Amino acid sequence: MKIVKLGMPLLMVAAMAGCSGGGEPAGKTTITFSYLWSGTEAEALEKIISEFNAGQDKIVVKGVSSPDSQKQLASMSSASGTFDISDNFGNAVGSWAAKGILAPLDDLLKDVDTGAFAPAAMNQMRYRGKTYALPISVHTFQLLYNKKLLDEAGVKPPTTTEELAAAIGKLTKTDDKGAITQLGLGNPSLPNSLTTLGYAFGGTWDGTDPAAPAPTPADPGNLAALTFWQDTITKKYGADKVAAFTAGWGQYMSAQDPFYAGKVAMVIDGEWQAVSIPKNAPELEWGVTAIPVARPDLAGATQLTASTLFIPANSKHKQEAAVFLKHLVGEKAMRDFNLALGNLPARTAMADDPAFARIPNFTAWMEAMKSPKVRSLASAPYAAEYATDLGSAFDSVARGGATPQEAMAKVADRGKNYARD
Amino acid sequence: MARAERLRRAGRRLAVAALVLLFAFPFLAMLSTAFKLPEDVFRAPPTLLPAEWTLGNFATAFEQMPVWRYLGNTLFISAATVIGTLVACPLVAYSLSKLRWRGRSALLAVVLSTMMLPPQVTMIPIYLLWNALNAGDTYWPLIAPAFFGTPFLIFMIRQFLMNVPDELIAAARMDGASELRIYLSIVLPLARPALVTSAVFQFVWTWTDFLNPLIYLNDSEKYTLSIGLYAFFGEHDVAWGPLLAACVMFTMPALLIFIFGQRYFVGGISAGALK
Amino acid sequence: MRATERAGRRRELLRGLAFAAPFLIGFAVFIAYPILASFRYSFTDFNLFQEPQSVGLDNYARMLSDERMWQSLGNTLYLTALGVPLTIVIALAGAHVLNMPVRGQPLFRALVYLPTIVPVVVGGYLWRWLLNAQYGFVNHGLNLLGIPGPLWLENPDWSRPAIVLMSLWTVGGTMVIYLAALKDVPADLYEAAAIDGAGTWRRFTHITWPALSPVTLFQVIVTLIGFLQIFAQPYLLTQTRLNTSSGGPEDTMLSYAMYLFQNAFVFLKMGYASAMAWVLFLITLVITAVLLLTSRRWVHYGSR
Repeated sequence: MKIVKLGMPLLMVAAMAGCSGGGEPAGKTTITFSYLWSGTEAEALEKIISEFNAGQDKIVVKGVSSPDSQKQLASMSSASGTFDISDNFGNAVGSWAAKGILAPLDDLLKDVDTGAFAPAAMNQMRYRGKTYALPISVHTFQLLYNKKLLDEAGVKPPTTTEELAAAIGKLTKTDDKGAITQLGLGNPSLPNSLTTLGYAFGGTWDGTDPAAPAPTPADPGNLAALTFWQDTITKKYGADKVAAFTAGWGQYMSAQDPFYAGKVAMVIDGEWQAVSIPKNAPELEWGVTAIPVARPDLAGATQLTASTLFIPANSKHKQEAAVFLKHLVGEKAMRDFNLALGNLPARTAMADDPAFARIPNFTAWMEAMKSPKVRSLASAPYAAEYATDLGSAFDSVARGGATPQEAMAKVADRGKNYARD
Repeated sequence: MARAERLRRAGRRLAVAALVLLFAFPFLAMLSTAFKLPEDVFRAPPTLLPAEWTLGNFATAFEQMPVWRYLGNTLFISAATVIGTLVACPLVAYSLSKLRWRGRSALLAVVLSTMMLPPQVTMIPIYLLWNALNAGDTYWPLIAPAFFGTPFLIFMIRQFLMNVPDELIAAARMDGASELRIYLSIVLPLARPALVTSAVFQFVWTWTDFLNPLIYLNDSEKYTLSIGLYAFFGEHDVAWGPLLAACVMFTMPALLIFIFGQRYFVGGISAGALK
Repeated sequence: MRATERAGRRRELLRGLAFAAPFLIGFAVFIAYPILASFRYSFTDFNLFQEPQSVGLDNYARMLSDERMWQSLGNTLYLTALGVPLTIVIALAGAHVLNMPVRGQPLFRALVYLPTIVPVVVGGYLWRWLLNAQYGFVNHGLNLLGIPGPLWLENPDWSRPAIVLMSLWTVGGTMVIYLAALKDVPADLYEAAAIDGAGTWRRFTHITWPALSPVTLFQVIVTLIGFLQIFAQPYLLTQTRLNTSSGGPEDTMLSYAMYLFQNAFVFLKMGYASAMAWVLFLITLVITAVLLLTSRRWVHYGSR
């Protein structure tokens, strides 16, 4: 019938496109590595993949860029998935492991020493004593600033939250109609900024016991951070003026990025900027400093997130995927990958690796990684819902639509219905 | 007298022009932005004509998105659903119009009330069904339902057939022709205008479908144009220039279909909705 | 005679069923079974990867106390209450304009209808661009008229009107239907009214509106159902980088269907989502039934 006639050639084309290197010679297994990275980051990853393929002849890895975490989850839900190894952020591991969709790695990767990885990251990788993922990169957040704008305003890079408040005041400019023309502190990602500030004020988002995380949105440190944001930005300049200014921003990390274009003087962002800025905004004079903290004993506090690799439970080639995973978290591949993307390597020993010193301003983020005050969001079964609810609440606070107390109380209320285990 | 008439005529023309302009303006805005340089795109207040015309946005869109593949995918499933519709809908419509049988009006009522069912009610079990058949992330969920008939199109063809005189069919029956024979050689040709309209409708619906590819297609190689554009935005966010250039590219085929099939659209929905 | 008659009827029944078979099978597989299955799921806790666990009426109870659900329902009802009347009014008015004796009517009709066949994804991003507070043409146009343009997609008061505005762009379908219906109204009715001295408005309320009332009823129901299920428009207008879920400013753009989708495919609470779907179904049925029952008062069938 017509369907079959139309369908067959299409299927054949698809099948051929699926095989890298034109077919499967006997003895080789093809596995699919579906990753969330895209664009230049994906290119860097593909290079590492082809090096792996060329370096041995048992496994052929096919890389697929699929930057949609919803699709990723959907693919793991069918009896036979579409990929054998993939990546995500560390705080998704717990909820996925709880659902039984990740393959435990303890047996598959017996000879990998998990102690070599950053402890804050490894916490997220475990669920009920078993390891379900390994980190390939970690990310810390620091305060980036536009040197020129700070010099013009006579502002020194802030180290305490009071100095930060003062800096924002001096660096936010409005015109005679009250519209904002320059913003002191921007927000490439509001959730990241506020989560990090929460830690900077001594707060915690998942309680105090890493072994038994529970959502604690209304922790006093968190509230202080949200109040800080409202006082220095929202209430002072008007939420609608900020929103109007934000609406005019260009694409993140492109030439029209607001920080690159000088529309925003400071941002809290991750270390990938150290590679992105020289590429996309070479004329920008910029610097990095540690996140300003509320009390001296909090110095070094910041948020750490991890990019992790995992094997889905419905993979049919777990052994081969494990071999590839081990390769990716090995020193050489980890170094190549993180150098190309400008991410921090997940192995603590590589924190002093000279190769990374070449990246401008990178050391600030590297050093942050070593601090004991670094915190990360818990990888718990409720992580996805918690993130969504926090996102809503943050949005509400930033718009001045609710006080921090109200917004966080709401989240705490919803927290009672979160999925547990 | 003539002056008043001319004023009235001018007034009418103005009203029509204003209405049409309001609806057509978004297209103009889309086109003009697609051809603007980035500095021009991010300029407030916006200008209708680009300061300098550029094809750069189209080039970027083509680079970042496998346009031809998505086009091919979408064409494939659109054609497939049209075939399914043309096979199934007239059959059911015939049963509801030219055959007399007990339960006919009951079935008509069922067909009509099915149109009121929110897709969300059936969405999850159907998704699980396809997953269980290992057909998640294939084109089957997008194509198969068309082969079982679509209520709106069934109804539309039925209305059309109701207005077709029975003589030919009655004569053929008396000659002893089988019902299937009558259906294939008499009814289908008679119903051609309604069939063409159904085909055009089904094509456009599948072409523009967003929810079903969103739920079922995970492999980016299989993406349709709608999901391809969605993924492009997810990745590139507010890269307005290339984004709108991609939008222009995806509207073009719909535009072409429309120009050629225009009277079928307008005729079809009027006929279907009025009776 | 009786026996052959009955045998004949039986044959007709089988024939009717045979031809209707595609729909019957499709109905069983894609409608009847899923309806029952989703009803069953609504009483379970089901995360797609593990076996469904029965929880009784828990999902429904939780819906009552779920603030976000009420917010999404409120949003959807707001959109419906604003969108349906506007759709009817604009479609009807537009049909009158299109009916005016000017040259090029088919072309204008086509241009007005065109937005309905544009893929909703294209429409979504296009309107996102048009409604942009800084670079959008909508605010630019308003400013030219001296009206300060609101921050459409950032302001909780204007975000829902923004969705309605985008939906109104595709009102061409309804408009064309009204246009065809207008042409069907017998001209002599208008002539008689004119002779009797009835003004334009009187002619509308006494002739046009009653004559069009069956079409209006149908369109109201269809448009209403469409708004109750609205998903793609707000979903696209609030899409963020990496497709993380967003509900717009203060969650005002979270439609009921969006929240349902989130629960099903992001949080993997399929049982809860099924309960939500059933509630939507019931609401749709109730509103439609009310409309149909009260329709006798204002709908006139047949010619006068």
